[in-house]
Amino acid sequence: MSNSLSGPSNFADDGSAVIARQIEVHHSKLASEAQDKINACSDIYEIERTVGAIKERGYKRIALQFPDDLLPDSGLVAQLIRDQTGSAVFILADTSYGSCCVDEVAAQHISADAIIHYGRSCQSPTSRLPVIYVFGKQPVDVQDCATVFDGFFAKDKAQKVILMYDVIYAHCVERLLSTLEGEKSYTNIIKSRVETESNLAYVLSSQDIPKAAGGCCQKKSESSCCDNKQACSTEPSSSSSCCQSGEKSGDLTCNSSTGGCAKATSTMQQAGAASTGTMTTEETPSSNKRRRFGRTYDLPEGDSIEDYAIFYIGDESPTLSNIMMTHSKCETYSYNPEKKQGRLESAQVNKALMRRYFLVQKAKDADVIGIAVGTLGVASYMTMIQHLKALIESKGKKAYTFVMGKLNVAKMANFMEIDCFVYVACPENTLIDSKEFYRPIVTPYELEIALSKSREWTGDYVTNFQELLPDDDKIGVDKIKISQAQLDAASDREDDDGSDVDSDEDERPHFSLVTGQFKQSKKYTTNKEDSKELSALIEGSKDLTLRDKNTSVATLMSSASGEYLQSRQFKGLEVKLGETPVELATEGRAGIARGYKTEDGYGGREKEKY
Amino acid sequence: MVNFTIDQIRALMDKVTNVRNMSVIAHVDHGKSTLTDSLVSKAGIISQARAGDARFMDTRQDEQDRGITIKSTAISLYFEMTEEDLPEIKQKTDGTGFVINLIDSPGHVDFSSEVTAALRVTDGALVVVDCVDGVCVQTETVLRQALGERIKPVVVINKVDRALLELQVTKEDLYTSFQRTIESVNVIIATYNDKTIGDVMVYPEQGTVAFASGLHGWAFTIRQFAVRYAKKFGVDRSKMMEKLWGENFFNPATKKWTTKSTDAAGKPLERAFNMFVLDPIFKLFDSIMNFKKDAAFKMLEKLDITLKNDEKEMEGKLLLKTVMKKFLPAGEALLEMIVIHLPSPVTAQKYRVENLYEGPQDDECARGIATCDPNGPLMLYVSKMVPTSDKGRFYAFGRVFSGTVRAGLKVRIQGPNFIPGTKTDLFVKSVQRIVLMMGRSVEPIEDCPAGNIVGLVGIDQFLLKSGTITTCETAHNLKVMKFSVSPVVQVAVECKNAADLPKLVEGLKRLSKSDPCVLCFTSESGEHIVAGSGELHLEICLKDLEEDHAQVPIRKSDPVVQYKETIQAESSVTALAKSPNKHNRIFMKAAPLGEELSLAIEAGKVGPRDEFKARARVLSDEFEWDNQEARKIWAFGPDANGANLMVDLTKGVAYLNEIKDSCVAAFQWATREGVFAEENMRGCRFNILDVVLHADAIHRGGGQIIPACRSAIYAAAYVAQPGLMEPVYLVEITCPETAMGGIYSVLNKRRGHTIGEEQRPGTPMYVVKAHLPIAESFGFTADLRQATGGQAFPQSVFDHWQLMNGVSNEDPKLIEKILSIRKRKGLKEEIPPLDRFLDRL
Repeated sequence: MSNSLSGPSNFADDGSAVIARQIEVHHSKLASEAQDKINACSDIYEIERTVGAIKERGYKRIALQFPDDLLPDSGLVAQLIRDQTGSAVFILADTSYGSCCVDEVAAQHISADAIIHYGRSCQSPTSRLPVIYVFGKQPVDVQDCATVFDGFFAKDKAQKVILMYDVIYAHCVERLLSTLEGEKSYTNIIKSRVETESNLAYVLSSQDIPKAAGGCCQKKSESSCCDNKQACSTEPSSSSSCCQSGEKSGDLTCNSSTGGCAKATSTMQQAGAASTGTMTTEETPSSNKRRRFGRTYDLPEGDSIEDYAIFYIGDESPTLSNIMMTHSKCETYSYNPEKKQGRLESAQVNKALMRRYFLVQKAKDADVIGIAVGTLGVASYMTMIQHLKALIESKGKKAYTFVMGKLNVAKMANFMEIDCFVYVACPENTLIDSKEFYRPIVTPYELEIALSKSREWTGDYVTNFQELLPDDDKIGVDKIKISQAQLDAASDREDDDGSDVDSDEDERPHFSLVTGQFKQSKKYTTNKEDSKELSALIEGSKDLTLRDKNTSVATLMSSASGEYLQSRQFKGLEVKLGETPVELATEGRAGIARGYKTEDGYGGREKEKY
Repeated sequence: MVNFTIDQIRALMDKVTNVRNMSVIAHVDHGKSTLTDSLVSKAGIISQARAGDARFMDTRQDEQDRGITIKSTAISLYFEMTEEDLPEIKQKTDGTGFVINLIDSPGHVDFSSEVTAALRVTDGALVVVDCVDGVCVQTETVLRQALGERIKPVVVINKVDRALLELQVTKEDLYTSFQRTIESVNVIIATYNDKTIGDVMVYPEQGTVAFASGLHGWAFTIRQFAVRYAKKFGVDRSKMMEKLWGENFFNPATKKWTTKSTDAAGKPLERAFNMFVLDPIFKLFDSIMNFKKDAAFKMLEKLDITLKNDEKEMEGKLLLKTVMKKFLPAGEALLEMIVIHLPSPVTAQKYRVENLYEGPQDDECARGIATCDPNGPLMLYVSKMVPTSDKGRFYAFGRVFSGTVRAGLKVRIQGPNFIPGTKTDLFVKSVQRIVLMMGRSVEPIEDCPAGNIVGLVGIDQFLLKSGTITTCETAHNLKVMKFSVSPVVQVAVECKNAADLPKLVEGLKRLSKSDPCVLCFTSESGEHIVAGSGELHLEICLKDLEEDHAQVPIRKSDPVVQYKETIQAESSVTALAKSPNKHNRIFMKAAPLGEELSLAIEAGKVGPRDEFKARARVLSDEFEWDNQEARKIWAFGPDANGANLMVDLTKGVAYLNEIKDSCVAAFQWATREGVFAEENMRGCRFNILDVVLHADAIHRGGGQIIPACRSAIYAAAYVAQPGLMEPVYLVEITCPETAMGGIYSVLNKRRGHTIGEEQRPGTPMYVVKAHLPIAESFGFTADLRQATGGQAFPQSVFDHWQLMNGVSNEDPKLIEKILSIRKRKGLKEEIPPLDRFLDRL
């Protein structure tokens, strides 16, 4: 028993790496270090708000999801919540993807009613369970931040600025805003908002509030910001449920009375319009509301995002690079509250974007594409995978789907026949620097650009794959069929257009910008015209090949893997019938790879030699 | 000019024995286009509608502005021989009418690729040499290329008028100068001669050398004079020709021929060439230029030249020009020489086929080519793409080697990467139309039989630059052209307006189509790179890109060059790399490959496709390899054909062949992106000394081996005195002695070093040859002009890769260089430390 435990399971290390791993823990963040643990804990982890929300909706089973570095506090938090609500509380282990994403699958194992997600979050909408986000408040020196802000923008007080921030600093943004608009008299600052809850209506909609079908808390909090009474009358829950949004709404009301009247009313209208609408508000030309990875901001009518600068509060993080990638045309400044430093970030973003452009070119040349699944929580990931598959296959390329948890070089290099991977993950994890990887890893957006005629590289960037889906309603796996049908229809249309212009459009080689040569795309779909007799046999299965009498592969049914095998020098063990003498069977090796029983511990051969 | 209907032209094309395909090649400014113009004006076939257009060969505005040829241009000429001259043609003929398909090519080294493309579709070459400048670097380059393609040369020594008027040489001086030039041409021919085409050296007495003045429009071969004198003396023409060159003297007193330069009394005799050939010319020049018109007219009478009345009024040079044109018309002499001495397609394809065709020499395609059979399987080589007036579309310009191509014919289009028996780089499409390319204009024709040059419409979408068109399913490719220049200079371009990106990309595609040599691609950092053979080439390409192909404003970076990473010694320690799971170990050592072998690999003499035993023999015989080791070469890299090798030196390792694919993949990757600057590696040999593999296949998959092998290669290179190589130009500068000081100071400033300097015999001009790092060459021409008051003209051509001083990770200058490359590429600005790659036991 002990023997097998000490050995590795599937992955060939002894686990010592995990134990020896240094995890950077910011002690200041942890409540367990504080003198008055319980108070500190309630404050940092917003126990009051969560408890309120839980009681409100009567959740019975609750999953708490902590990232690794906050785990020391998990016990205390769980205890506090359990004591105050009486519900069953579970602490989840870390996810196999990114800790910024809500791990719905793990929560479903314990059939939880709701998840409370702690720590940094990518704010990707989830599909199944209600989520309450608790970011954990971190201190910001608002005065210092305002001074840094001044340093960047003092030249022009009317400069249009969007305030963005890491979620852990969400709590003090209102204070900063009032400082800037009050003392420093900036006039055109727009604050972005982050969600603190998601999918709460999931339960409610089916129960007692028919009007808010499909709505999300973001809309609610908006409407509550603008007009408390109206919000209360439609959705009593949102204003009372969470302390933070309550506090926020108070601040914002105060803001709108000082300067943002027009803004507030436009928000109102949109909120009203949106309340019948969908989960996420798309960037329609009429509405100037933008929502990107959980951050929402409203631009006044007629303004475009290019006019704005972005001021970001927080350390270097995937969030920041995401903001910069998606707002590449805006100047981005950042303020690091820990180091109390500000700097201009935009300089590198173009380089980063150009590097992604190169990956698009690589994806264009790929014939076999692997779809690596990087999330099981983000809403409509299944739709996305289906969508990508359909897209890849419509181009006659071959798609494989991989579910392999967190990516690493060694894992990915095991699939040498794949030309390019596309990684379906939450916006913060989707950008992978694949330099060290054997094959490039692109985002769904990049693959769309590479393969779809309707999209072109413009310098705008989308990290959130939900924005790529053609469907209005992006929730619900049962909608896949519809979107699939639409896609097919669209591609049919495309084909028709193509045939009008030139019938051989599809066969034509394309000019590869990677090599500077023409690249002929391989087609992995069976062609109806050739080999009619065979087509009956292989109908629907292009992964089978025929063998002739000598049992050698007779025809490669345009199968990617078959073709790859053909190109390999080593094709597996060779059958040498009659060429090797007959021998008695002898006992082979037993045990596991870590150290076979015949061997003297770790790697027998090495011992002999060294 | 000759006016023909298309039907007449078409009829001529069927008589393949009377077709001559030839290109005009020379050093820049030796007068190709001017000479060609005089041929075109004499014999150019143009349809009636187009008659009257001038300046046929320089089709582009910038060509006319700059006075240099940039693109090669094809034109057809018609020449009628007399019945009595026909027997002199030593190959089969059919009637007295001849069609000459002539391609005028650029002389500037930067456009050598155009010459290569022109040579491929022709069988003969008219090599133009300036009689004052003599044989220059580009003359040698193009001649070498021509011989490599088994193309027969004839020589024309041009600008003889300059020697007479400017240099005022004596007859004997002129003769020696001619002789010297011819000798140096023959030296080159002898060096690069391919025995299968026989003796292709040029001899004036056989009529394969002409003397001409393109500017004045006159030219002659010995034959012209021989014909004249043969009648007069009543001797056989060919005997007369022999007498008129070399050590043959005529004693007017005794009326006897002798080979001694003195008569019996010891008095010097005049050389026959001088007496019979140069004398009349000198006299004419003398009398006309010194306004002795009476004497001149008397001579004209003797020579049977009649002038019109208005022509008689002319004076000086103008009169000289008119008279000489009538006396020795250039068209006649040159066309005669071409028709008599250059091979017809039927003759040429017999010996060219083995050089042209990749497949077996006895299949039906090879037979079709060898016999130039219009009824054989179609074999057509597209050598370049010519832009049409329709934006973005191209004519595929090429030569039919076998069979007949006709409009609507369904053909197999085989790109350069086509592998027989597969569908790689293969398209089956119909030829929409076919056209004759005539300078600026095209004429549609119905079909075109073997041996002719033709333009195809409707297949440009399937070929980037060149390819093979055939109807035969078993056909192999016609050999891909090998260029003497390579795209070593790069600039990054971007559009000023981000929304123009799609247009820029389309423009890059069109640009790479329209030029045989230019390379357009995206660098890893996402920049669009245009790579060309030199500054001028790039300048023209970018101008075309901006104005014609993309038609959007673009911004371009400063030019940069590529470097190569290499090693200078054997690895000081054995590099060990462990796989990510630590269960597999690879032991490797790197060693320099040696410059000779690197060059041999780059020249294709040693390659991955060779049969391994034969290759091992070559390696052990010529490069001192151990025969056993030479048989165990796993791969060439990067791109499976570069000058780096991975060799398996392990003994008795189980499962080794299982990881071979992974190791090769890692090797390709590592040699493509070297460890220091992520430039290609060159000249490295990586020996796998030992491998320890996990017993379970699952733990030694690609995922484990690729990273490990890549690390091992990096580590092995890291400890083997790594170095950087930079590309170096061979510069040839012609200048007067006074300008030499300026040249040396400019060269010194740019790290150039002189390898030779000599005076051109018979001229005050000096030729300086130097090696100049390409990285330092930007703006060199302008600098040189400034430093020498515009008296020096450089010609630069990529010569070799030169090792830079120092070790990559030690020398501060080199480190700085590497960091700047890394910065440009958007990589981390630090040299990765060794311990990232080297594992310890």
